[in-house]
Amino acid sequence: MSEAADDRINRLVERITAGDTAALARAITAVEAARPAASQLLARLQPRVGRAMTVGFTGPPGVGKSTLISAFVKEMRKRGETVAVLAVDPSSPVSGGAILGDRVRMAEHAGDEGVFIRSIASRGHLGGLSRTTSRVADLVDAAGFDVVVIETVGAGQSEVEVAGIAQTTIVVTSPGAGDDVQAIKAGILEVADILVVNKADMEGAKQARRALKAMLSLRVKGHLEVPVIDTVAIRGEGIEKLADAVGRNHERAAPADRDAARRERFVALLAECVEQACQSRLKALDGDQLERLQDAVERGEREADAIAAAIMDGGLASAVS
Amino acid sequence: MLRRARTGTEAVQPATATSETSAMNKPTQVSLPGFEQWRQDFDEQLPDAREIRNRSGIVIEPLYTPRDVAGDYEDKLGYPGQAPYTRGIYPTMHRGRTWSQRQLIGLGLPEDYNTRVRRILDAGANAISLIPCNSVYRGIDADKLDPEILGTCGTLINTVDDMTACMEGIPLGKISTAMNDPSPFTMLAQLLVVAERRGIDWKHITGTSNQSDYISHFVANHMFFRLALPGARRLLVDHIAHARAFVPGWNPLSVVGQHMQQGGATPAEAMALTLSSAIQYAEDCRERGLDLEDVLTRFTFFFDISISFFEEVAKFRAGRRIWARIVGERFGVKNPKARRFKFHAQTSGVDLTRQQPLNNIARVTAQAMAGIFGGLQSLHTDAFDEVLSTPTEEAARIAIASQNILRHEAHLTDVIDPLGGSYYVERLTDQMEEQILDVIARIDDLGGMYKAVEAGEVQRMLGESAMAFQRRVDDGEEVIVGVNAYDTEHEMDIPVKPLPRPPREHIDRYWQRLADYRANRDPSKTDRALDQLVNAANDPKANLYAAVIDATRAEATQGEIITRLRDTLGDGQPLIVP
Amino acid sequence: MPEVMINTRPARVLVTKIGLDGHDRGSRVVAAALRDAGMEVVYTGPWQSIPDVVKLATEEDVDVIGISSLATDHLLVPKLMRALQEADMAHVGVVVGGIVPDDEEAMLREAGVDRVFHPGSKLDEIVEFVRRRAGEAQQHPERL
Repeated sequence: MSEAADDRINRLVERITAGDTAALARAITAVEAARPAASQLLARLQPRVGRAMTVGFTGPPGVGKSTLISAFVKEMRKRGETVAVLAVDPSSPVSGGAILGDRVRMAEHAGDEGVFIRSIASRGHLGGLSRTTSRVADLVDAAGFDVVVIETVGAGQSEVEVAGIAQTTIVVTSPGAGDDVQAIKAGILEVADILVVNKADMEGAKQARRALKAMLSLRVKGHLEVPVIDTVAIRGEGIEKLADAVGRNHERAAPADRDAARRERFVALLAECVEQACQSRLKALDGDQLERLQDAVERGEREADAIAAAIMDGGLASAVS
Repeated sequence: MLRRARTGTEAVQPATATSETSAMNKPTQVSLPGFEQWRQDFDEQLPDAREIRNRSGIVIEPLYTPRDVAGDYEDKLGYPGQAPYTRGIYPTMHRGRTWSQRQLIGLGLPEDYNTRVRRILDAGANAISLIPCNSVYRGIDADKLDPEILGTCGTLINTVDDMTACMEGIPLGKISTAMNDPSPFTMLAQLLVVAERRGIDWKHITGTSNQSDYISHFVANHMFFRLALPGARRLLVDHIAHARAFVPGWNPLSVVGQHMQQGGATPAEAMALTLSSAIQYAEDCRERGLDLEDVLTRFTFFFDISISFFEEVAKFRAGRRIWARIVGERFGVKNPKARRFKFHAQTSGVDLTRQQPLNNIARVTAQAMAGIFGGLQSLHTDAFDEVLSTPTEEAARIAIASQNILRHEAHLTDVIDPLGGSYYVERLTDQMEEQILDVIARIDDLGGMYKAVEAGEVQRMLGESAMAFQRRVDDGEEVIVGVNAYDTEHEMDIPVKPLPRPPREHIDRYWQRLADYRANRDPSKTDRALDQLVNAANDPKANLYAAVIDATRAEATQGEIITRLRDTLGDGQPLIVP
Repeated sequence: MPEVMINTRPARVLVTKIGLDGHDRGSRVVAAALRDAGMEVVYTGPWQSIPDVVKLATEEDVDVIGISSLATDHLLVPKLMRALQEADMAHVGVVVGGIVPDDEEAMLREAGVDRVFHPGSKLDEIVEFVRRRAGEAQQHPERL
């Protein structure tokens, strides 16, 4: 790396750690685009990662996630914490473009310097986040925010990936949202540290809560008790309780657990990098080569596993030959 | 020709407000020997005739004949002033009393408004309208905003004193006032307090709350959306209940199809969504224990008139018929007054072009004709320069003159429902009815309009229709003269002067007045009233609108009232549907 | 599913309304057209204040800001341009769409607005302009 480029990274690190949001924002763009400089930057910032309390919000559409997050952010601000929000929205599978509209529900924090909101397009990644969300979360963590909130796409899929990043995962539902509790897909309940029934002033809230508790009791034994909290986000009701529960969950996690969690995240990160590397090697194959490989497989001369192993060994040429 | 049904099997069942109508509206088979010959000639001479669809997506045939009309005349069409009111809601319709010419006014400071409105009253008007500044729509007091944007689109009205100045010398008990006054209806509260101070009984106050339809605001015209959905829902019912009890001459609800159509809905969708909203409001009123026999007499509607001429005529005729059936059959309401579909309509600004703006006069004329043939009760014609800037006075004058020309010189009002009985118009009315009922059924399936908008379904529908239409224009499928066809290079030399913006000194003067208002009132009284407002908001049994009036009487400004309600009931933010 | 975009970045555009007006059919249609052209559109809806827009554009690191104005809110745009400059965001493109009288258009251009789109503009024309302007903004030296 050239000295000038190195200098630039150093300067950026300084600006980010000094709380310059423009620098942070540009760094996020670079990380999202997987620029080479971004890896350098992330490496340089790594020692500062791990101080923030990270909280993930997931749940089906229409339950008021963004409104709940906005109320949660307000509460955290009242408690003197600075907050970064990463709101993930889906990219169009057709055009690759996206409309990122979650900020609307967080309008009340627009003027607050202690709140940083960044909209993220999923860019074809499934699981409720974008491929780079975990690294973007590291960035804002390193930038010194006390709380990092991650909002998943909320498309009603099993968006469990956020649990791999967040220390506290909050699963949100509401009465009358789709098929009520049924909308909470299998798997998602298992990752919940806290369950929220939003719009709890609506008809059917009690039933929703009962159904949730019933579903919880079927979970694997040995799980800590998962609190179920009623909120009316639009009026700020139940939000203090929620914030307290998040705080307790954060404190409860023993340092050993946190280390384990970080190791898990590291493994996930590695897996992601490996996958990306594989993808780009696959892309390096041209149409001819692919066709030859395909023919060979169809003729029964070679098989896919062996080809894959060859590709991963770096022997693209050998794989093709 | 719509004949009385003959006897026996040929009689076609009347359309009812269910989705089964489409089957029932199938035309009767009539023997027309010349028809096949014509069809053959047509196809021969125009072998590659392109398919024409109207904005609602209905395929338009080149010719309509008795084969296309169906149903029992008395049942489907009947007579003006009789159910199902297809031909008009009053026996005399435009023969008796044409329509109210309501032009929106509101500009600058209250005294500017007063000067202009007095001129209008002197010229013989008995109905006025009042458009506040956009700052009022946002529920923000004028002293909290940039001066550049104050008083540029409407009158600054923040206090009872402002309303007093607006209405100086105007006989409040004798004229009807239409106000763009969204939830929580602070302007009506101010008007009622002014009446009270002048010793005018509220029973003599007449007019309309033009912007009470919070659902259309939430979905399509966020201009007026101030409180989050649940709070807005409650306030509307409180407002209606209060008006029915104390201001019986007031129309507390105007359901605004205009917003839906301007927001991108097709004419059929706009009508359907408006009726679905009205159904929701009626159900909410019933839930509150209000008597629909009474309340529904005060429901009014407000629509956009696009330039798709016959489609608009059919939209209005179909809407009128459907509403009468909904009220009678779905709600079981007997009162004929409650089944009348009273509507105001405004020519659509969406169809006006910036290019060659004088062409807009022709467009507005065609739109206005569609509204008149559609049987409207009140009409606003757009000024030709509305797409360039806030309308100039000259352009507004032409807009009014156009109405009078249509009425007197073109004799459009001589005959009631003059297009009734046209094979095309009757067929199109049936088809629009089917489409409208389809959308209503879809909204019903989603659990009603409130739930549908909460889930973003209606927003999605509007977004898709708006995009589809824009693509049709961009692709030249919709021809727009001077924009994508015919001499697009020609530029008309229309000097477009923006209206004089209120001079800065005026805004300063207004700010001073507002400061004085705050300084001179009894703060403990105002604070107490605002606290009581919050208490009422937290008490589902209280009538919250009564508390709004009390706070206004205690000299709280509109911004203060709305801020407290926002803090308690949630701020109104639109739902963005990707 | 499009290829995962490695080493490229889609244009990021903020579509917003400042001031008081709430009519947003135009801004929604334009936002959808930009999305359909593969851009990432941060959409705010109406009523943003100028400091809000500056903060938002900074945090979202957008390349172009599109302001829709149908009433008189465009009169605030010169203030926005000054605020962007002060926030070191001068590289961001700004386009205005809606009802803007001629002499006020001149005033906007003077204040640094890249382009004013009037009613009747084609979506493709808007998309192309925004794409080009976004490309320029992405070349800014401060960006990695």
